[in-house]
Amino acid sequence: MGLVCRLLEERGIATTYVATGRDLTALVKPPRALFVNHPMGNNFGRPGDVATQTAILRMALGLIHSAEEGGVLVDYPTDWDEPFEFLPGGNRSAASAG
Amino acid sequence: MEPIRYVDALNEYYGAMGNPPYRWTVNESAPLYRPEKPLSECRVSLLTSGGVSQCAMPAFNPDARNDHRLDAIARDAAADDFQIHDSYYDHSDADADVNCVFPLERIREMAERGEIGSLSDHFWSGFMGRIYNRSKVLEDSGPAFARALEDERVDILVAAPS
Repeated sequence: MGLVCRLLEERGIATTYVATGRDLTALVKPPRALFVNHPMGNNFGRPGDVATQTAILRMALGLIHSAEEGGVLVDYPTDWDEPFEFLPGGNRSAASAG
Repeated sequence: MEPIRYVDALNEYYGAMGNPPYRWTVNESAPLYRPEKPLSECRVSLLTSGGVSQCAMPAFNPDARNDHRLDAIARDAAADDFQIHDSYYDHSDADADVNCVFPLERIREMAERGEIGSLSDHFWSGFMGRIYNRSKVLEDSGPAFARALEDERVDILVAAPS
C-alpha cells in the first residue's frame, strides 16, 4: 500500500498513511506517514472512541501541508494503554481462545 | 511501549513455514506532492487494505496472496454494513466499529464541519497484504486506482494499511 501511495504522489495526488507498523513503514517509505503505536487493526483507536479516531485522522491530514520532504514519518503522541503483541498469521482473540 | 518489530516477526513466521526470505521493499527517498489549496478546499478519499467489504459483496479471501481486488464503496455507505475477512490481523475491534480501520464516519464528519473541502464519490478497499508481485501494482492495479481517483478529482488520499 505504501507503493501505491508513492505512485499516486508522483501523479499529483497527495497521500497520508496511517500505519501501526513502524519498521515496515520506514522500509517502504510512503510520502507521509503517521505511526500509531496501536495493535494492527486499531489504526484509529478503539470501537466507539470518536475523539481518538478523529484526532488521528486530523493529525494524518495535517501532514499533507506540513511535510517538507517525502518520506516523513511522524509518531502519534499517545500509545495504546495496555501491552499488546503481534501473532503473525493468527487472530489475537482466536489465539487466546485456543 | 517499544514499537513491535514486524519485519523480524514476519521473517521468522514465514521462514519457519519453509518460504524463501521475503524481499522487503526498501526505499531511500520518497516523492512528495503538496496541494496548493488548503485542506478546507481539498477533495479527500479513503483507502483500507484490511479485507473490508460491504455485506452485499463477496467476502475477501482471508488468506489471500496477490489479491489485487479493489472495491469502490459509496461515500455514504452505512458503517454497520461491512464484513471483514483477513487472517493477517485481529479485526475484532474493527468488526464492532469499522472506523477503527476505515474511518468513514469520522471523515464524513470532518467534511460536514468544513475541515476538509469535500469527499470523493467513493471510498476504497483493496491492496490487501501479502502482494508479492509488486510489478503488477506498479504497472497495472496502482495506475488503474490512480485513474479512478483522478476521475473523481481527488486531491488527497488517506491510506490505512492493516
